[in-house]
Amino acid sequence: MSGSKQNDYVWFNPLTVWGTATGNEKAPSICVPDPQHVWDESRGYKVPTSKVGRFKHYIIWPNHGGRTWNRLRWWPTRRNLLHIKGQYNRRTLAAEKKIMDRRPVYWALCLLIIALGPFFFPASMMNTLMTAGAIFGIFAAINVCWTLVIGTASIFSLATYAVVGTAGFITSWLSIQYGVPWYLLPIIGSGVGLLFGAAIAIPALRLDGFYYALLTLGLNELCRVFFTTSQEFGASSGGLYGASTFVNDNWEPMTQSMVAYYASFGLLVAALFLFRLINGKRLGRILRMAPEKREAFAAACGVDYKRARVTIFIVTSIALGFIGGFYSAQYRGIAFSIFGFETVLLGLAMLAIGGIGKAEGAILGTLIVVFLDQVLLELGPIRNIMIGVLMLSAVLFLNNGYFGIKQQFNAWRDKKRGEWRSSRSEKGGEALPEEATEIADKDELFFRRFDKLQRDYLKGLVTPEIIDEHKTQPLGQHSEALERVLLYFRRARMEDKYALHRAGPEGPYKIIAFSGQRGVSPRLVDDREYGTLDEAYHGVFMRRIHDLMES
Amino acid sequence: MDLTFVVTNAIIVACIYGLIAVAVSITWSSLGLINLAYGFIFTFAGYGAWMVAEYLTENPFLVAASGIVAGALGGVIVCLTVFIPLHDKPNFTTRGMIATLAISLIGSQAFLIYFGPRPKALPEFFGYWRIEFLGTTLTSDKIGIVFCSILMLLVVVFWMRGSRRGLEIRAMMMNPQAASIVGIGIRSTGIYVMAVTGAMAGLAAILLSQTYYLSPFGGVVPLIKGVSIALLGGLGSVQGAVIAAILLGLVEALTNKFLGGQYVLMTQFLVIIAVLIVRPRGISGLLDKAREQ
Repeated sequence: MSGSKQNDYVWFNPLTVWGTATGNEKAPSICVPDPQHVWDESRGYKVPTSKVGRFKHYIIWPNHGGRTWNRLRWWPTRRNLLHIKGQYNRRTLAAEKKIMDRRPVYWALCLLIIALGPFFFPASMMNTLMTAGAIFGIFAAINVCWTLVIGTASIFSLATYAVVGTAGFITSWLSIQYGVPWYLLPIIGSGVGLLFGAAIAIPALRLDGFYYALLTLGLNELCRVFFTTSQEFGASSGGLYGASTFVNDNWEPMTQSMVAYYASFGLLVAALFLFRLINGKRLGRILRMAPEKREAFAAACGVDYKRARVTIFIVTSIALGFIGGFYSAQYRGIAFSIFGFETVLLGLAMLAIGGIGKAEGAILGTLIVVFLDQVLLELGPIRNIMIGVLMLSAVLFLNNGYFGIKQQFNAWRDKKRGEWRSSRSEKGGEALPEEATEIADKDELFFRRFDKLQRDYLKGLVTPEIIDEHKTQPLGQHSEALERVLLYFRRARMEDKYALHRAGPEGPYKIIAFSGQRGVSPRLVDDREYGTLDEAYHGVFMRRIHDLMES
Repeated sequence: MDLTFVVTNAIIVACIYGLIAVAVSITWSSLGLINLAYGFIFTFAGYGAWMVAEYLTENPFLVAASGIVAGALGGVIVCLTVFIPLHDKPNFTTRGMIATLAISLIGSQAFLIYFGPRPKALPEFFGYWRIEFLGTTLTSDKIGIVFCSILMLLVVVFWMRGSRRGLEIRAMMMNPQAASIVGIGIRSTGIYVMAVTGAMAGLAAILLSQTYYLSPFGGVVPLIKGVSIALLGGLGSVQGAVIAAILLGLVEALTNKFLGGQYVLMTQFLVIIAVLIVRPRGISGLLDKAREQ
């Protein structure tokens, strides 16, 4: 529609021929454009789309035979070997099995790699790697137990290594003084752990998380000072050595380190089973119901979270005592460094790198830190700086360590998606995609969309010509463009409309607006007065035009 | 070995560790950060003063001032690396604590590499005079320690009471969200708080170096003592920290006198645990007014 063409067009009232015309006889007006153009423009999908959406990658196995289910179970429980769902392929109709939970597969693979590790270590680094592997097993077991305390029981205890150390020292001392054999050391250690755990569980009942963390940090120091300064525990030699051991001196060195490696691997597996038994069963589920700051709600639901926490704490302390006894049985004793501030720091580094609260996080963190600390020995003190930098960056950039990356990334991606979507979606009467899901009456959505299309179209019809036409004759037959605009105005809801208020018997008139609520009187729009009714009609028209152009 | 001697020793110990305890307390209550990097700041300040004494001047005032400035600088470093990136992230308290521990791990190793494991000594600041007081001989360093730490504490307390920045910090202690709504910058306040508390730790380092040597891992014991005092006094309360410092100093001195030095930590922790079981938020910590974060 070019401007010149619009000006050329003059509308003749068809009713003049019959002499029954109301309104203008003729008026300059505009050609009415085809609404299809606006429709196509508005309804086109302008957002770039990619072909692949988000879907979860499942492992799907072809099926053997016709069955889509299996009955392999973990003896003697009724649990299935893997969480598998049988289905038929939509396209080929072949029976197949989909693994819904892949974590057991990964666990089995990783543990298999650790178990077979000694056969693949390079010969030049065999000794170092075997020693590091044995240390890794024991520290991973300790950290898995610590994860139970910090993650599952949410007791922020930093005295884990103090429990291990105390049990280790007492069992070593008993073994040296009274000749207690090695197979009793872990059991005595468990008893020590029970006593120690029970003693430090009492403040845990009363204190909040971080008060308890600071207290246990002090307790750790207390143990260090006590054991290093006491006469019985060998104050001078840097540790207590000479306990009974299961690693026979007469064996070949390789056999000795193999025995140590697999013994600590067995300890790690036992710790993982403990984790599974506590975290994945009743106690863990109770505590997942009572996360921090929602304890009151959980208690109101009948969850005795304090008892569950203390139970876990004490069971874990027994396990840690066992590990302490095991440690002294494996290494013939224990060093004071287990109580050091550095040890607590390295332990926290292990947890923080992997992610607090997850067994896999504890194991990965231990692997990284033990590798840096024990294998790269030639780097000197730089090692600890590297560990510190890793720990700091894990804490600064990751919400929950390495194994929290996926969740954090998904949350970030969803946030960004929402931002992009809202930045490119068009407003102006249409509902946003987020809003649309909340509106139950879908007719409402279609109406809004239609209304927006119609307003877009009518905005193109509003020109000085039709305004002049309306001004000369507000009532009666009009040109098509003006008639379309007026029809739209007449169809609007009551609260969008205006009315005229006659101030005296013959005028003047004022414009009022309806409230749209029953019982609420119309309000005066402005103070302008119109002398005649036609002027007032035109005033209302201009106001509606204004509202249309604004929307 | 009479009661006055015991009490004076208690006060001296209380003064030094009390400074760190007040620093821990202020940081926790205004920023919500459990700063376990005060050990690092302590050592940082000590080595800063030592560098000045070694390479620039032996003037005691300048050396002490450089130690305090180095402490404030250490505090700002911790603030920039931990508080400012983390303060609006999820799990801030846990992550902040672990991050400050990471800084102390990195810091102590860096000091070990740069300065070597051998301990260093700072010059004597207070001369070699002594006075008789109530039948006890007080040496110059003891009087100096008590005087300096009390002065520092008073300066900090009056600055927090009287100045605009102090008002901002106290507003953050009451309600951090409301404080940020009325226009108090959380980050800028964080820098002030960490600079001031760092300066306190720096002064503690200077004062303690009159008795002990500087070493890369020397910050751990003052940190743990300071944290224990802050815990006993109630996190967030300056007067609680002062009371707790005097109480623990007394316990230390009495244990030294009647039981022997190796039982000091034991009796102290028994006292702390006993008090915390009765009052879980410390001596003067109120259960409801404590910062929830």
